[in-house]
Amino acid sequence: MKNIVIDAHNISKVYNPETIPVYAVNNIHLHLQEGEFTALVGPSGSGKTTLLNLIGGLDKPDHGNIYINGTDITKLSARKLIEFRLHNIGFVFQSFNLIPVLTAKENAEFILLLQGVKRAERDKRVLQLFTEIGLVEKMKVRPAQLSGGQQQRVAVARALASKPRFILADEPTANLDSVAALHLLDLMEALNQEEQVTFLFSTHDPRVINRARRVITLVDGSIASDSAVVSTSAPHEHP
Amino acid sequence: MILLMAWRNIWRNKTRSIVIMLSVTIGLLAGTSVLALYKGMMTSRVRTVIDAEVGHLQIHHPAFRKDNRPVYIVPNAARVLAEIRTMPEVKLAVPRTLVGGMLLTPRGSAGVQIYGVLPPLEYEFSQLRRKIIAGDGFHADKVNEIMVGKKLADKMKLKLNAKVVLTFADTADNLVSAAFRIAGIFQSGNAPLDELNVYVMASTLNNLLLTSGSFQEIAILLKDDKDLDHLQIRLNKRFPSLLVESWKDISPETELMVKTVDEYSYIILVIILIALAFGILNTMLMSVLERTREIGMMVALGTSRERIFLLVWIETLLLTIAGAPLGLLSAYWITSYYHRNGLDLSGMGKDMMASFGFETIIYPSFPWEKLITISCMVIFTALISCLLPAWKALQLQTAEALRR
Repeated sequence: MKNIVIDAHNISKVYNPETIPVYAVNNIHLHLQEGEFTALVGPSGSGKTTLLNLIGGLDKPDHGNIYINGTDITKLSARKLIEFRLHNIGFVFQSFNLIPVLTAKENAEFILLLQGVKRAERDKRVLQLFTEIGLVEKMKVRPAQLSGGQQQRVAVARALASKPRFILADEPTANLDSVAALHLLDLMEALNQEEQVTFLFSTHDPRVINRARRVITLVDGSIASDSAVVSTSAPHEHP
Repeated sequence: MILLMAWRNIWRNKTRSIVIMLSVTIGLLAGTSVLALYKGMMTSRVRTVIDAEVGHLQIHHPAFRKDNRPVYIVPNAARVLAEIRTMPEVKLAVPRTLVGGMLLTPRGSAGVQIYGVLPPLEYEFSQLRRKIIAGDGFHADKVNEIMVGKKLADKMKLKLNAKVVLTFADTADNLVSAAFRIAGIFQSGNAPLDELNVYVMASTLNNLLLTSGSFQEIAILLKDDKDLDHLQIRLNKRFPSLLVESWKDISPETELMVKTVDEYSYIILVIILIALAFGILNTMLMSVLERTREIGMMVALGTSRERIFLLVWIETLLLTIAGAPLGLLSAYWITSYYHRNGLDLSGMGKDMMASFGFETIIYPSFPWEKLITISCMVIFTALISCLLPAWKALQLQTAEALRR
């Protein structure tokens, strides 16, 4: 039996609760086990990014609890939550979000620096990651000198640098061409299988969906289907 | 890493950063130059008080300061004077006979402070000869000669060789009058004193006061200003029956002026820095708001709020202090030039400057002793300027910031 990495109970997120309430996430229950490679799909506005933000501790749910490796992150203070993210969660964003003033290497080791990892260890880890993503020769260049695909691979290296238990990726291939997207998917899949890193990513991209071993479909903030369960439940009505 | 990021961040918009750095440079150049100018003015004023008016120390009979009657002579003045002159710290010690009186001319009268002096010594002590603008001063073979200030001469319409009458009370409280011929007209940098003080020979005045061989004042000039305090204490102990005062006691207005101008110069610097702070604040605010998503991403990855604050503060500090050395260096160059060559402020009003006791040529002096304070003020300005941008950065909601 594998460990449950993400355990979300009855989580809801409402925007404009006092005027025209919009249920971005509506009463969702979600469990992810270690080593899963899961795609979160659904039309625009279905709540994919909001759900990822809630699970990643970037936003607070209005209802429900989210347990990451057994810790209820909804109960953590802002300071503790930042600390928790630093040591437990890796992020890959749609628009790469590399720090433009840092080189590719410095971007990748950014989290390790925040964690206070020593230089020798940092250098070793970053070299290993850049070897894996195939960008050793680009380590000293700044993001602006990299292609979109290369930037996203650096972003994945950054997310993996501190060896987090799982990685949240928000539409990681959205800004990539076909070749770059396939390269990135190969990389993510290899890391998932070889290092047992759990991936949860939102996507519209059918190529990504086809590679996922589990697909969760969101509609209007609720789970419309989940390939991991036999029967799909209908979206919950909000009381 | 934070320092590296901060340094690289300030160069993301080179033009904007250079403008702010130049503002700091010009602001500090202006502020430090004002401090240097005021320091030069105050140093000049203090030097005038010490070297040309009061001396470092003065000795009187204890009652003389309260009641300026000539009867209050310095007891055993010759012995006291001789002993003081043997002290290694003393450059010059001169005796003076003092009495307040009236100067009368056919055109009118004026209250004056009459100094009975030993001309060769007084010429050296208060640089009286250097100040003579008409005539050639006292003549050894003539007795009833007087030197008056230009201000008094102008007021009373006195000319060289004109006759005036001095009237005063002698030690027996008899009213004494004597005629004097003007042997010289002097002009110092202090117009009020030029109107008040007149000089006659000590022997002449002593004869009229019936205080032959006595003096009311011993003025002392030291070789080094640093010896002032300890020599005052020593003299007080050595001559407990006499009143030993420093120039600060005798001319408290000068001490007060130095302190006031010192504070005033800081106020000017603070005003300049406040103006700069708004410019820096604006730049940093723009810089932070342009990087909303980047800052949100950094927080998402696990950067603490303290580190974000530190990043904004270091950026502000670097932006501020980068221009500071150039500003201080420019101020040093300019100040050094004028320190050597003098800054002629006569265009601002020679009479006005003189009426406040200032020379018209000022020698600005770089305020080395204030360098640490100035640096602290610059750092404090950076800290104040970064508070609002840093607060804005800390208020960002991570998820919201990432959406922008």
